[in-house]
Amino acid sequence: GKAAQPKPAFTDEAVQTLLYKMTGLDLHKVFRPVKKGLKPPHYKLMTEAQLEEATRKAVEEAKTKLIMPPVLNEREPIDDVLAEDKVLEGTETAKYVFTDLSYSIPHRERFIVVREPNGVLRKATWEERDRMIQIFFPKEGRRVIPPTLFRDENLGTVFQQDRHEDVLNMCIAQFEPDSPDYIRVHHRTYEDIEKRAKYDLLRSTRHFGGMVWYLVSRKKTDGLLIDMINRDLLEDATSLITLYHMLHPECQSAKEAKEGKLQGVDLIKVFVKTESQREGYIQLALQAYEEAMATSSAS
Amino acid sequence: GSCLLKGSRGGHVVIRFALGGCTNRPFYRIVAANSRRARDGKYLEQLGCLDPLPNAHGEKVAGLNLERLRYWLGCGAQLSRPAEKLLGLAGFLPLHPMTVTAAERLRRRRQREQQQPQAAPEDGSAEPGTGT
Repeated sequence: GKAAQPKPAFTDEAVQTLLYKMTGLDLHKVFRPVKKGLKPPHYKLMTEAQLEEATRKAVEEAKTKLIMPPVLNEREPIDDVLAEDKVLEGTETAKYVFTDLSYSIPHRERFIVVREPNGVLRKATWEERDRMIQIFFPKEGRRVIPPTLFRDENLGTVFQQDRHEDVLNMCIAQFEPDSPDYIRVHHRTYEDIEKRAKYDLLRSTRHFGGMVWYLVSRKKTDGLLIDMINRDLLEDATSLITLYHMLHPECQSAKEAKEGKLQGVDLIKVFVKTESQREGYIQLALQAYEEAMATSSAS
Repeated sequence: GSCLLKGSRGGHVVIRFALGGCTNRPFYRIVAANSRRARDGKYLEQLGCLDPLPNAHGEKVAGLNLERLRYWLGCGAQLSRPAEKLLGLAGFLPLHPMTVTAAERLRRRRQREQQQPQAAPEDGSAEPGTGT
């Protein structure tokens, strides 16, 4: 029979191009004023050519700002005993944590060991590792003890203020990409956005790609599709469905699309008929879009 | 004066703890220094630190620059006894024999103290009869 293709990963070029196209490039949002020290505005007088040059450079910078943070699986807990010395039992009351401070080792390969009061010498857990590395090699924007903001009960308050992007930026600064806290905060944020259909908050930021990946792998794309059609972003809708077919090649709409080599609105219609849960809404949105197109082309 | 020439005659490199901090709050720096220098005086290089008081998570934090430690040990530096014990606890050197001896002595003393209260009530009940 046919050899099954390996499932596409987040880092594949094709996937990344699709996600990047969907993220959009709204210069006004990317270069929105970040809270920094106050400086008076700087005006320049430019010719048309210089303005084009400046816009081109701004687009280049915006592309670097939109590089997507990595999406990794949760890390395996460390559970390694190096030595057991039963003799030391009862001598100490607290454990010792030893960190290797050699400058030229990458943080992932650093030796961090713990000598417990019962004499066991074991490798430190991931939380202990992160704490020790932050104590001795502090990174900007990261605290030794994670802020209380990232607890489940406090995330709800921040989401009500529509500050999803700030939460995600803080999360990237605080946690490692494969830590369970990073994954939990990201999933909570994406769920909240999907529940309240506020996809536009993350559009044109570097988090959009991760959100789309999350929704497509869990087949929750309906709300996003409706939002895209309502904002007249048809190419984004088609790239979303292409990505869906890449991730789930065995679904019916993928097979039909491959047979018929459909493009554009037909692709969306096939997808809506076979895969979506909220067919009615998407049909309505498509109708509204087609009417708008008809009136604009007529006038 | 003479302080400038201290490094050139006699003395050897030791790796030991230099005490810092304030009253009731010690903090040790693991330091490679000339043996004739003051305990907290000028050293050749700092190789790490040790905080002897447990932190909020119940840990005593210690950092050791193993790369530079290996360099100084290769140059022929000696270790002070507490430094040897700490490195034994860390696993860099084998466990110091005095650590083992101290642990066994502590265990024996605790055993003796456990047996004494059992013996003492017997004495206490016998004493009032014979004392007065």
